[in-house]
Amino acid sequence: MNRRDFIRQVGCGAMGSTTLLSTLTSLGAVNGAMSGSASKLRLASNEDYKALVCVLFSGGIDSFNILIPSGTTVGGDNGFNDYKNVRSDIAIQTNTFLLPLNNPRCSGFRGQPCNYGSFGVHPTMTGVQNLFNNGKLAFMANIGTLIEPVMTKAEYQSGLKKLPLGIYSHSDQIMQWQTSVPQSRDTLGVGGRLADLLHASNSLQDISMNISLGGKNNFQRGKDVTEYSISNNIDPNNVGITALPSWWSNSGLMTELRNNAVDSLVSRTYANLLQKTYSSTTKSSIESFEVFKNALKRVPSMTTTFGTSSLAKDLQAVAKVMSVRNDLGAKRQIFFVNYGGWDMHDNLVNGLNARLPIISDALKSFYDATAELGIAENVTTFTISDFARTITSNGLGSDHAWGGNTMIMGGAVNGGRIFGRFPKMDVSNNNTQNISFRGNFIPSISTDEMYAELALWYGVSPYDLCYVLPNLRNFYSYSPNNYPVGFMNFNGTTISNVDNPQGCSTN
Amino acid sequence: MKTRSPIFVILFICLGIPVALAQQTTTIGKGNLQKVNVFSSSTAINGQRTLTSTGFLPNYSAAARFLSQATFGNTYTEIQKVANQGIEKWLDDQLAMSNSFRIETYVQNLHQSMVDSLNIKNNVNTYTLANVGVSNWHFDAAWFQGCMTAPDQLRWRVAFALSEILVTSRISAFDGNPYALASYYDVLMDNAFGNYRTLLDKITYHPAMGSYLTFLNNHATDVGKQTYPDENYAREIMQLFSIGLYQLNLDGSEKKDANGQLIPTYNNDDIANLAKVFTGLSWGDGTYLGINAKDIWSYTKRMKFYGIDSSDAKKNPWKTNPRIVDGHERGAKTFLGSTVDPTASRTAMQGEADIQDALNIIFNHPNVGPFVSRRLIQRLITSNPSPAFIQRIATVFNNNGSGVRGDLKAVIRAILLDPEARNCCGDDTGTFGKLREPFVRYMNLIKGLNLTVTGGIFRNAMARVYDQTAQRPLSSPSVFNFYSPDYIPNGPLKDAGKVGPEFQLLSSQTLTGYFNALNDWLVNDDPTDYYGLFTGETYKPNQDPKFNTVADYVLTRNDRLPQLLDKYNLILANGRLSTESLNTISQAIKGMPYSEDANGVPNTTEAYRRVRLAIFLIMTSPDYLINK
Repeated sequence: MNRRDFIRQVGCGAMGSTTLLSTLTSLGAVNGAMSGSASKLRLASNEDYKALVCVLFSGGIDSFNILIPSGTTVGGDNGFNDYKNVRSDIAIQTNTFLLPLNNPRCSGFRGQPCNYGSFGVHPTMTGVQNLFNNGKLAFMANIGTLIEPVMTKAEYQSGLKKLPLGIYSHSDQIMQWQTSVPQSRDTLGVGGRLADLLHASNSLQDISMNISLGGKNNFQRGKDVTEYSISNNIDPNNVGITALPSWWSNSGLMTELRNNAVDSLVSRTYANLLQKTYSSTTKSSIESFEVFKNALKRVPSMTTTFGTSSLAKDLQAVAKVMSVRNDLGAKRQIFFVNYGGWDMHDNLVNGLNARLPIISDALKSFYDATAELGIAENVTTFTISDFARTITSNGLGSDHAWGGNTMIMGGAVNGGRIFGRFPKMDVSNNNTQNISFRGNFIPSISTDEMYAELALWYGVSPYDLCYVLPNLRNFYSYSPNNYPVGFMNFNGTTISNVDNPQGCSTN
Repeated sequence: MKTRSPIFVILFICLGIPVALAQQTTTIGKGNLQKVNVFSSSTAINGQRTLTSTGFLPNYSAAARFLSQATFGNTYTEIQKVANQGIEKWLDDQLAMSNSFRIETYVQNLHQSMVDSLNIKNNVNTYTLANVGVSNWHFDAAWFQGCMTAPDQLRWRVAFALSEILVTSRISAFDGNPYALASYYDVLMDNAFGNYRTLLDKITYHPAMGSYLTFLNNHATDVGKQTYPDENYAREIMQLFSIGLYQLNLDGSEKKDANGQLIPTYNNDDIANLAKVFTGLSWGDGTYLGINAKDIWSYTKRMKFYGIDSSDAKKNPWKTNPRIVDGHERGAKTFLGSTVDPTASRTAMQGEADIQDALNIIFNHPNVGPFVSRRLIQRLITSNPSPAFIQRIATVFNNNGSGVRGDLKAVIRAILLDPEARNCCGDDTGTFGKLREPFVRYMNLIKGLNLTVTGGIFRNAMARVYDQTAQRPLSSPSVFNFYSPDYIPNGPLKDAGKVGPEFQLLSSQTLTGYFNALNDWLVNDDPTDYYGLFTGETYKPNQDPKFNTVADYVLTRNDRLPQLLDKYNLILANGRLSTESLNTISQAIKGMPYSEDANGVPNTTEAYRRVRLAIFLIMTSPDYLINK
């Protein structure tokens, strides 16, 4: 499908292409100005570059052992003791082990107060603590998949509220976190829809706006845009189809012969839809390799060090790709990284002790790398996961739950704060946020609200938010200086007023 | 068929009876492609059998196509066999074979040979199975050995399909333990033609599953400790292994309520209740609930049930008043509208009956037939079976004709003989078929090029196929398999509302990975990954075979290229490469150097390269990759 078809099929009311074309022109102009820039490392003063980095912790991370209430005032903010009582053998046993967060100002949400005032992070997460206390990282408390606000257990049980499909099911929840359309099993991803709207702003179309370190994923899947999948080994020689052996006397010629044959096999018109799908995927991948390979030859050396975990390597690769954004013709990029293994029904305490520092260190290294590249303000990283886990233990492990805590990191983030309504660590019926004796919380913020704020920052106009987030109007409607959550700092950023799928916000 | 291979002409005499003569092409043409004339071999008996449809003699392409669905790959000999004896005969012979290869035994023998060699080499007797380490690849090597040598090829193919439904994986707590992998895979092999209820029992009690889905050592609710039964297995056995999330019609479509909404099969209360059922199971060689695995062989022993948790007493024998609590949760447990132990009369010690009752409830849920049938069809035949196809198979699942539910032998037979599987796609349009799985492509190549070893022993760690394509037996990233049965790739399939599960594994990474692996296997002549068994072991080249394509060299001259391409078109692509694709490949090969000596013998280096590149191009063509 070409771009024009896409616009025709967006289906958000009548469509005029004038506004769109003018957007493309203006976005393209800035990009064109950059293409001759000598500086590869530093952001030119007029460069308009923005990137989102989605870090998925697949398996359902126990985020109530990442962000932990730390108060011990009996009769007052007694969060830590509440926490410890209810989490029994999977709790951090001593509050002084927690790494304190300075005045986190937990905000509450939708008119509901936060249940606690003081917080710490898991004892192994020094990098995250550092980022938070330096204002580069914020938490979202008790966020999750919702179609519309559900405020209490009574509402949840009433049958009057639309509820996500397959709450507690890995396959559904991991998908819904990526699509933000919890009523559907067949829909596009948030990153994909963002790219549908904005991919024309990149001057080269050979490399997708959406680059994945985690293979195929729902998040980056758009109507018009699919992900370009790379490995974290971004040595240019590791990209593309291997040449025939050099000891073949005419290796170059033979390789070309082979590649031409491959190209012509996948360029044929096939009637069978599976063949059609395979051949078009192959063709577009092959076209991308050359561009990507050449760009990677220009990755500068960087001083920021990364660890050896796959997450660290993936994020290091993301930083390197960002460093050649101009060679890729990219003003906007969306990255996807998956770091799995969080389905800790068992051995939770040891598992978190081993793996949370990997997250913390990798995030810190990545932030430092973006600072080194001079693009810390231009890159926003956020973490997602299938769901949080039951507050109560199943005997050294926890099971599937719903709302949980996530992190947002970057120079443009209103860091050092907790947004949302951290739930009371109480699994009794008195706690109206809780819907199970195991401790499963109704999310207080929806994924829609988080993504809407990121989308506005990324350059989507308020008018177009409904294309990215079809359920958003159940939670939020735009007015100047009224942001969905408030975790992004929009200072100096003009909210786009380009109406792509015209007027769809009024649907 | 647009081209007819010379081989075909030699073996069959065309009686010139077009399909149109027979009114029921779906019957008489069984095993044949549409729009293909019905041929008879030279023996009159076989000809009559074909025409009276008492035996179906498929042509070579149809035989190859059948084998591409029923096995890991074609050999020319096997294609001939099926063409000569007919699909049903071949199928019934295969279904009658018992499992001929035990992977666990082979792993143990491999392990023992390491121990023996080390003792002899070092002239000691201190090495034992317990102190000589093994790793995942011993399972892979054993798997490959079995798949290459066992005659029951259908069983191997079906067991692999089952391993993608009843998923466990080395990406888990038993990473590095080939015994765990082998023992679990043997269960799938043993029961591939057995009953699905038995299979549910076997996997439920297998410690690999118990560990993978964390219900091994699962404990009754402990109010004192505020801990509750683990819900993992309760959820996944229903969601992934038996009934799925929504109520289904017999044809696999989802039922709708009065408001047009899907009807969930269970809610979280059902899960919490079923979780209580799966409490009290622990290691088969242990002595109490909560104990750790004794050794790597603990993973090969059926789990044991403990009604009572006596761990405090066992761990602390000095205690005069140890804490003894229920290990298995007592009481009535309601899920899926049925109740286990409704009168709450069972003691904790009698609780094992709960597990069998629960498995019966699950097994008898009406979803199981369509749920399992659709998945097996997708794994073997086509990504988008018609509702009628699913319904025919689900009907057999529900009753094999003799009143037995869950008879996999009958189900497999019905799938492979179904009209939709046999008479499909004469016009090449639509959505029939599936993207061949990367691992299956690897085995197609290995089988198709007839990889053989002198001495009969292969040693293949199967590392490259996984590194490059992210697929290999028991290597799924999660219990959700390498891909979802409902995955819908962007593009024409999505527009048509069709799924393409295997496309979930196809990214620009795995795509080039496959090309580059083919390059290693074919061009660099390195089809297997030979690993040393112990430090200092002498290299055994006869266990590290190469493809032998010398016989094809004579076919590499330009005028004989059609024969070369026809041969591999048949073996690898069921003869389905279009004329256009064949021309493209032929043109490329003709562009490569070729010379011969005075006796007309081709230059071996040049001929080698022509053969290898021809196969490379066949295996990267969409006509091969989509098995229709």
